[in-house]
Amino acid sequence: MAEQEPPGIPDDALTDLLVKQVTEGLSPAEQRELDVLDGPLVSETSRALERAVAAVLLAASANPAPLPELLRARLQRQAADHFSAPATGSPAAGLPPVVTPDGGAATPPPSQTQRAAAAGAILPAPAPAPGPARTAGAAGWWAAAACLLLAMYAWFRTPTLSSLPPSPPVAEIPAPVPPAGPVQPIPVPTPAPTPVPTPAEERAALLAQAGAVKLNLGATKDPAAAGVTGDVVWDPAKQRGFIRFSGLKPNDPTRRQYQIWVFDGERDPRYPVDGGLFDVPEGQSEIVVPIRALLPVHVAKAFAVTVEKPGGVVVSARDHVIALAQAT
Amino acid sequence: MSPSVLERMAGGDQSAVRECIEEFGPLVWSLSRRLSRTPADAEDATQEIFLDIWRSAHRFNGSLGSDKVFIATIARRRLIDRLRKTSAEPPMDSDEVLDTIVWSEPGNSTETAIEAEQAARALAQLRPEQRQVLELGLLHGFSQTEIAAKLGMPLGSVKSFMRRGLLKVREYMNRDAESVSARS
Repeated sequence: MAEQEPPGIPDDALTDLLVKQVTEGLSPAEQRELDVLDGPLVSETSRALERAVAAVLLAASANPAPLPELLRARLQRQAADHFSAPATGSPAAGLPPVVTPDGGAATPPPSQTQRAAAAGAILPAPAPAPGPARTAGAAGWWAAAACLLLAMYAWFRTPTLSSLPPSPPVAEIPAPVPPAGPVQPIPVPTPAPTPVPTPAEERAALLAQAGAVKLNLGATKDPAAAGVTGDVVWDPAKQRGFIRFSGLKPNDPTRRQYQIWVFDGERDPRYPVDGGLFDVPEGQSEIVVPIRALLPVHVAKAFAVTVEKPGGVVVSARDHVIALAQAT
Repeated sequence: MSPSVLERMAGGDQSAVRECIEEFGPLVWSLSRRLSRTPADAEDATQEIFLDIWRSAHRFNGSLGSDKVFIATIARRRLIDRLRKTSAEPPMDSDEVLDTIVWSEPGNSTETAIEAEQAARALAQLRPEQRQVLELGLLHGFSQTEIAAKLGMPLGSVKSFMRRGLLKVREYMNRDAESVSARS
């Protein structure tokens, strides 16, 4: 006996498209087909199907496993970093909205389905479609990654990539100074406050420890990279590191910021780990900035610095890669 | 009614962030383990999902569904995205993991979101092969083409089972919503 479908849904072919959209994503041709048919009924059905998918997931997760302690601690640390970042207009967080991984900095205009979801549904906009579109995007990323490696190869074969001059005086981002306490009427010997180490001091201390590695940093051919030199100090065990720059141009944080990326040998090279944002104030000829990797870095293969919009991006379009350092 | 954790986070309540991890961490972790290739992948995915949750919390609308459905939707999108990017293969051998799924008991809505109970009731009505297609597609990240190859089933049948299965779940969700609104 044929099963009766509930009323108020599009025909089978269109519903199949919507099902595929919410379960595995559409190819560009399928997405175009859906866009042509887009309308209130399509939007409503798309939302309802996605809710149904989520409900099935919940039904299958009746006894979820407890969160591992280490992961919980990492999430709490990540939350602290995330919510302490400077706000960039998103009401939910300091970091910018999610950028589509294969769309780089440019997010395609939303379909009506996506707009409806964004406007009124409990659901955020659907995930980017896999299939040929993603394949094309992935090919672009692979090409970008290949270019990156080629650029790094070329860089590290170029005489200008020689080592930094031996330890010049380092000017760094001023460390916060604790406010002075009230004056005591009677001088009482108190222990001197422990000075907060500057990034340059922390870098030097890290470099002195066994296990830390130092990599030369080279500029790319990007115009913003002219004259940039530097190095990276990274301790894999501590997951800490610093980048020292010389000649990096000052930036206006309201227009663009520098962002650090760490290429992990155990991760997809298209998606390096976000190493944090930084700014270069006017008048700073040299600067030392900490690397704040948001995710664990298993094998640090390379470090890169890009120029991004204020607040940074989740996935860089790599339009402005200005400095690279590669592990040997 | 007091605001949910997501609504409080969206409103800037920092204490809600820790609650969010405690309340939804097990769900996200369970989904991540199911749809990741390795435990390390699952950990990374969990962190990425929570970043997505924090960035999207302001878009949650409690009148349109539960916070758990919102979380599960975000989690699944991220997990499927990761799977599709990093491998042509689903995470694990499905025959092994299908047996590990613990389904909600219909009628036990105290422990799970009401939507989960509705879905469980709908799934109980499906034929075994329909249910298997849904499990492979939704819980294990197989594409429709992969399911067809795995089960030796025409692609059209896979699409039909998937469509009818999800529409059945939707039907149960709508039916309950209508009965609730009729009572109120």
